[in-house]
Order: sequence, then structure tokens, then C-alpha cells
Amino acid sequence: MSGGENERDAVASIRAGWVAETFADKHLLVTGVTGFLGKVWLAMLLDFLPEVGRVTVIVRGKKGEDADARFRRIYERSPVFRPLRQKLGQGLRALVAEKVRVVDARLVEPLCGLEPEAARALMKDVDAVVHFAGLTDFEPDPQQAIDANVRGAWHAADLAALSPAKRYVHVSTTYVAGRRSEEIPERLDEGVSPNGTPFDPSAELEGIEAELRTLDTKTKRVDAAQARAEALGWPNIYTYTKGLSEQLIATRNDVVTTTFRPAIVECARRYPFEGWNEGINTSGPLVWLLSTSFRRFPARPSNIFDVVPVDTVARTMMLVVAEALRDESQEVYQCASGHRNPLTMGRAVELCALSLRKLLRETGTDWEKHVLSRLEAYCHDPSKSEVFGYRRMRQAAKATRNFLRDFKLERKLSPDLYERIDGERLQEELRSFSMKCRTADRKLGQVDEMLRQYRPFIYDHSYVFRTDNLVNATARLVGEERSLWGFDVEEICWRHYWSKVQIPGLDKWSLPLLRGEKVPEDEPLPPADDSREGVRRKTGEVARVDIEAEIRATA
Amino acid sequence: MNTAAFFRVEGTLTERGSLAASAWLASNAAGVGERVARLGNVALAAPFALLGELQTGATATRVTWMGVRGMTEDRLVLLAEEYYEKYLKDDVLDIGRDLLKQAKKQGRRVVLISDNIDLVVGPLAEQLGADDLICNRLEMRKGKATGRLEDPVIGGNVTGQWARAFAQEHDIDLMASWAYGASAADSLLLSAIGQPCAVNPDRQLRRLAKDHSWPVVEK
Repeated sequence: MSGGENERDAVASIRAGWVAETFADKHLLVTGVTGFLGKVWLAMLLDFLPEVGRVTVIVRGKKGEDADARFRRIYERSPVFRPLRQKLGQGLRALVAEKVRVVDARLVEPLCGLEPEAARALMKDVDAVVHFAGLTDFEPDPQQAIDANVRGAWHAADLAALSPAKRYVHVSTTYVAGRRSEEIPERLDEGVSPNGTPFDPSAELEGIEAELRTLDTKTKRVDAAQARAEALGWPNIYTYTKGLSEQLIATRNDVVTTTFRPAIVECARRYPFEGWNEGINTSGPLVWLLSTSFRRFPARPSNIFDVVPVDTVARTMMLVVAEALRDESQEVYQCASGHRNPLTMGRAVELCALSLRKLLRETGTDWEKHVLSRLEAYCHDPSKSEVFGYRRMRQAAKATRNFLRDFKLERKLSPDLYERIDGERLQEELRSFSMKCRTADRKLGQVDEMLRQYRPFIYDHSYVFRTDNLVNATARLVGEERSLWGFDVEEICWRHYWSKVQIPGLDKWSLPLLRGEKVPEDEPLPPADDSREGVRRKTGEVARVDIEAEIRATA
Repeated sequence: MNTAAFFRVEGTLTERGSLAASAWLASNAAGVGERVARLGNVALAAPFALLGELQTGATATRVTWMGVRGMTEDRLVLLAEEYYEKYLKDDVLDIGRDLLKQAKKQGRRVVLISDNIDLVVGPLAEQLGADDLICNRLEMRKGKATGRLEDPVIGGNVTGQWARAFAQEHDIDLMASWAYGASAADSLLLSAIGQPCAVNPDRQLRRLAKDHSWPVVEK
């Protein structure tokens, strides 16, 4: 295409309302809408782009709830749908009934478990498949990670291949970059791993799955997959499977793939409301750690801690899907803050310490208020040994426990002295202290393990993910659409975000989970007026795909 | 022409001075050793404070804030917020609050003057609905305080010269305006304004007020 044509295209795109125009009457098939990011994206789609034709969501029944009930629970009770519930009230049911269709399907199975005819019927008018679903644990059972992140994506792409336009939008992560400390461009080097090793992704998948089948315990499987990941330059199983998935999808020529890579997705700035978060995301465990007595945080102060609010990720993802729907998308988009508005690890730890100090002083126990809040966490070089380092403390706890386990006071003292000092009570106290040492050893072991998993991202590597494609896409937006869908990381004041949004948000929505507590759900929508059966059916139920009818219609 | 009411924050609206704020910020530095060193630095301002602000002018204020040199802007902003919440927000002196309300009711432009930093007294000015806040600003470089104050430095003794310049810039009739001060250092400002008033004055200002027949109000 000539430069002149490019300019004309760009000018044509710069007009108000083109995102809304693009989504109008489109049919999207979306996976992973029960997850952290997918949920926000779907709520924003229904809230701001009601022009969309239809959204078919693939949901798997879970914990005794079928797909319909699970999805209904989300839009009726999840805080993400709070703005929509407040705006529409009972009307939300009508909107969902009109726009959303739930398909109970399993991504881990070929064609998501649908019969070929049913799948073809389902996909006959789908304009794009948007695949959010994935497993984000750093060290899960490798086979589960492969099923969710590799097979799941492959099967979603299979569905896309059955649709007329064959558009497939794949959500990945910036950390597929692997063990590198450099500027990471928005591209995929096909058949090359992060450490530069040429490899065949299909053979790699077959190889690792064959190896996993021979191993009988999770520990052995994790070790095997971790070793394979490291050999290719990925720091953990999560990034390995996500990277493998990108590589495999790139070998397909039956779909047009757009890859979207967010960095660390964290608390919302505005949508659904300030501070919202869900589950235990990347920084949750780290913040929890800093709220305990742990003070030496093993991080490199100059490294970038690449955090992006979930609503920023969701809104820019909308822009990317719009570009894909117009067949104008780039191959890869990275959604990260480090390129345009970097937050260093040192600054993040200080902001975290200051925000937690305030929180502890307001709501903590006496110990937290008067002691912990005055001793701030700081970045510490983990290669340096320290007298009071957590590893030394763990060794001390273990040694004390071992010593006390076999220690019998009765044998060491004369019966007379044993009697005089109330040896029985003293022995009981020593036993209790020994148990405390065992608990401390176990907890410090968990901390050690957690920090080992995080180390590549907070100490070993400093990444700068380029975000030019999102910046260019934003430049094509004008007016209200720019504020709705534009890439806005430059506007983030990290001090405000960390102290007023992130820490209070994590404290409300994530840290309770780490303490074994529950987080609140919203009050459900009041039941629909069921005196008139017809009205109830129209407004109260999620539309389900009648696969049989679709097949008949197609025939 | 407009009229204004000038309030010296320290003494008329709050009991705490800038030395207390600076010492508190320094004592909340990141590490324990750093806190001790910074407090020592702030303590250097004590002899100047003893000499009195009339003699030392802005020097005492400059020395007071040297103790926060090298602290990050993030830390200073968040700690200043905490300081305001803890020590200023709910501790505004009743007498000062009443005088300020009265001034606003009479349609005067309310000008707060403080040798504290904007991070600490900014929220207070907002809370009280002041029209102007004349205070100090810490110089920041690469996200850290240099330990210097931006010019012009507001010392303990704001002069009549400053008041006249301010009045000219904002079209204020100084003779019909009021000024409220609490220490002898405020006498220069009070003498330049048509309607001076001593609020909870220290010994020296009380003598001056008596000598000049200035009204004295106390809680």
C-alpha cells in the first residue's frame, strides 16, 4: 500500500463513533468471561457498546452450577456488573437476554466439545472469536496449564476457523518475552524461543505432553515442565505455556490472529469502580507479604514493575477487537505501562510500605499499629546474606524445632529440681514453642517458595514492553471514544493509584482471600415479576443456544 | 477596591509550627538510622528558633526544612497528608476559625500565610475555604527533595513590604483590611495593615499590641 493510501485510511478512521460503528450488529464469540479481565471487558461492552449484535459466551459449569446459572450469578451479583445494574435495574436481564447467549462447552476438548455440525452452526455468523480464557498460576500442574493455555487457545482458534471472517483475538501476556532484560518489541519471532533457540512448537508440545504422561506426581511434572521452560528461556510454566500457545497459533493459516498481551493486570481505576479487583492476582501476595512482619523485599529498585489497571486493559482490548473487526489490526499489541509511564520496583515498594503503614495504623492490631507500621519494607539484594534474613530465620526455626523435639527436661534435671521448678509445666511450654517453630519454618518456607517464583519479574529481569501499536490505535480515536477506549497509562499518577486505589482495593478484594476469608458479593437483582410467565421468559432468562435448531436452520 | 483578612496560620489557626511538621516528617523517614540522622539535622534549626524569627528571618525556616533532603516526593506527599489528618484537620483553634468565618461573611479575601510547606498546609487552606495560601514549597529534583525551599521563602517574619506588593497585585485596600498574628515576628505584617489584631499573642506581641492599641483576642 502506498503512503498516500495509508494516510487516506488513517484519515477515514479518525471520526467520532467509529468503534461503536464497528461493533454495531457484530456477533462475537467470547471465552473466559468468568475471569478477572474477561468479565470487565464484557461488562464494558454491554455498557458502552449496546450496538453490538450478539455475544456468545462459552462458559463451563462449575461446582454444581451449570453454565447458565454461573453466568447469571456473575451479571446479577458480581461487582463488575454493578454499574450496569445501577443503570438498568431489571432492564439488565432484558439486555442480557437480548444480547448474550451462553454455550456450555469445554475448551479443553476439540471444537470445545461441540459436534462438528453444531460448531459450524454456532459459528456461521460469528464475526470474531475473542479468547480470554487461561490459567494464570505461575506453577500449576503442567498438564492443566497446557490444557487451559495451549489446547484451549487452539480449540478456540478451531472455532474461529469455522466462522466466515476467521478472525481470532488471542489474549496472552507480555511475559511471554521470557528471561530477557531489554526493550521488548510488539512482534512474535516464529519458531524461536526467548533465549534464541530455534524450536518446533508442535514437536515441543508433543514432547512435553509425552514426558508428563510418564510422571506420576505433580512435583515431578512441575520439575519436568519447569526444566523445559528454563531450557527455552521462559521463567515458569505459565509463561512457557502462554508462549507455546502464541507460537502454535502463529503456525495456523486458517485464522487471522491478533494477539493482545497485557502486563500485570491490577485494580480498576474507574470501571466498574475505583479499586475493584478479583481473586489473587500478581501483586496481591507481594502486598500481603509486606503487610506481615516481612521487611526485606528481594527486588531490584531500578527494575520496572509493569502494572496496568484492569479497566485500561479492557478498554484498550475493545479498541484492538474493533481494529480486528475492521481487518486493520496489527499482529501483536502490548498493553503495558513501563514504556510510557514507568513505575520502578523501588518506587512501588516505597508506595506500598507507605500505604500499608496508613492501613495498619487505621485498622491494625496493637502490634501492627505501634510496631509494624513503624518498620517499613525496603528493597533488598537477595544475593547478599543477612543475619536476620528470612532464610537464616528459617534455619534457626528448624534447628530449634529439631532440638526441642527430642529434648526431655526430665532427663536433664534431677527429680528434685524437676519437681521444684514445676518441670511438667515447663516441658509443656517448650513443646508449645517447638510447635511455633515448626509453623514458622513452614510459613517461611512458603514465603521462600513464593519469592522464588516472583524473582524473575522483580529482581532478575528488567523489561520495557513497547506499546506503539496501542498508541497509534489511540491516535485514530477522537472525542468521547478516545476517553472511552484510548490507551491512557500516561495519565496514571502512580502515587495516587498505589495509595488510594491499589492498596485499598487489594485490602478489600484480594487480601481477605489470602487470609482465608471471603470477599463480599453484591445483593442480587430483585427477582423478576413472575406473575406473567411470558414477561418473565422475555426478561429474566439468559438465552441459550439451541444447537439443534441452529443445525436445522443451517440445513 | 477589595479588602482582605491576612491570617498567620501558626498561632492563630493552629498551635503547631513548621518545626514540628518538619521534625515529624524527618522522624518518619524509611529506616530507623535515617530517622535519627534527619532529626539531628532538623534540630539544627532549634538555636535559630530560640533567637527568634525577627532576628533570623527566613534562615530558621530554611534550616528547618534541610532535614528532609533526599526524601522522595511520594513519601513527603503521603506523610504530609497523614500529618494534616492527624494534627491539623480537627485541631483548628476555635478563635481563629471564628475570625476566619467572620472575615468571609464580611466579604473579605481570606489570605493564609504560613512558613510551613504547601503539602502540609494546602489541605488546611482548602478545608477552611481560604482564597489564597502563601507558604513554602520544597524544591524537588528527580522525585526527591533537595532540602531547599523554592523562592520566595516565607519566613517567620512576613514584612509589610510583602503585604504592600500583594495588595497592589490583587487590588486590595490595605488600610481597610485586617491582619491576625500571634507572635512578635508577625508585628511587621500587622503594622502594615489598617486593622491589625493579635490572637493569643506571645509576650512580646502582647506588649507591642498594648503599645499600639491593637485589639487582642484570646480563646
